[in-house]
Amino acid sequence: MAVDERGQAFTHPVYAFLEKLPGISLGLTTADQLLTWGAANSLFIFPMATSCCGIEFMSASSGRFDLDQIGSIPRGTPRQCDVMVIAGTITVKMAPRVKKLWDQMPEPKWAIAMGSCAISGDFYRDIYSVVPGVDTFMPIDVYVPGCPPNPDQLFEGIRRLQEKIRLKRAGEWTEPELRPDTPGFKVPSLPRVGDPARDASLDEAQLDAVMNLDPGGMLRRSEG
Amino acid sequence: MPVPDDVAAKLEAMGLAPADPVAVDRQGVLALAALLKNELGFTYLSYCAAAHRPASESEPDRTVVEYRVRRLPRDEVAFAVVVPTGESTPSLCALYAGADWQEREQYDLVGTVFAGHPDLRRIMLPEDWEGHPLRRDYAIDTRHHPWR
Repeated sequence: MAVDERGQAFTHPVYAFLEKLPGISLGLTTADQLLTWGAANSLFIFPMATSCCGIEFMSASSGRFDLDQIGSIPRGTPRQCDVMVIAGTITVKMAPRVKKLWDQMPEPKWAIAMGSCAISGDFYRDIYSVVPGVDTFMPIDVYVPGCPPNPDQLFEGIRRLQEKIRLKRAGEWTEPELRPDTPGFKVPSLPRVGDPARDASLDEAQLDAVMNLDPGGMLRRSEG
Repeated sequence: MPVPDDVAAKLEAMGLAPADPVAVDRQGVLALAALLKNELGFTYLSYCAAAHRPASESEPDRTVVEYRVRRLPRDEVAFAVVVPTGESTPSLCALYAGADWQEREQYDLVGTVFAGHPDLRRIMLPEDWEGHPLRRDYAIDTRHHPWR
């Protein structure tokens, strides 16, 4: 009997038959090592490349850096992939689509957030249409910081993911990765509506500042 | 960019001042666009843009929509329409097919309503978005989705 990531148990008649044989557990352990080796070294990648990190991803997957050398091949469909690499800013409109593609990937599956936009939204964080970090709507295994990260940093992230797969399949506990510390972004730069820390006078000051703009002022200054 | 001489003559015949952009009211915008396209050869719509202006002492709350049309290779004319908030301006889709998505974009982000547009719905933001984020009175931290 095996247990998948959601905690659901599943059995197979062949498994049930094999478990009864004496000494077969030794063979199954060896087979498990083989499977672990295979799982960690043939990570098919679904490139969720929405912006400039995608260019670095393309660079990583092409000749000079050669993602194929570690057994990772970018595939065009989520149904054949093990790893989703989210490379780029995810907008509020894109987020449900990303989630849908993530749900279409077969278990077991992993996700890498590549670049600071995918990790935290970076300087687009406070824009009305940008999701402040993809881990707000889906699980992330490995964070690869950078703006954009170099191909070798992506390789390092994949290596960390392989290590995590090996440990997890061996039944060892792994430290979950946390969002890397980004100075100035640990607390939102602007307290949001509904945040108890938000001062009520902020709303009025903000609206006042916006409503008293001088629309032609910039133009007039540049002429004078 | 200065208004070309033949255009300036036609504009003055219509009672409009040749400027950049030409100020035209909502009743006259279709006639002006038809003149520019059919008689003067400005067949290419360069862009349609809109900006929200909050109410001041002299002006009501309004949206300014600017169109820029081009006659290849280099002549171009811009004209701007002032649309008070809550009212609509005629759509130029029938004349310039390129105005279709551009006017949808202005409706999506600024909230200008274009009368006679064949398919006026959101183009960039999610279909269930509330409000028009490029308006001056839109709070930049308005909450929308659970992950915002």
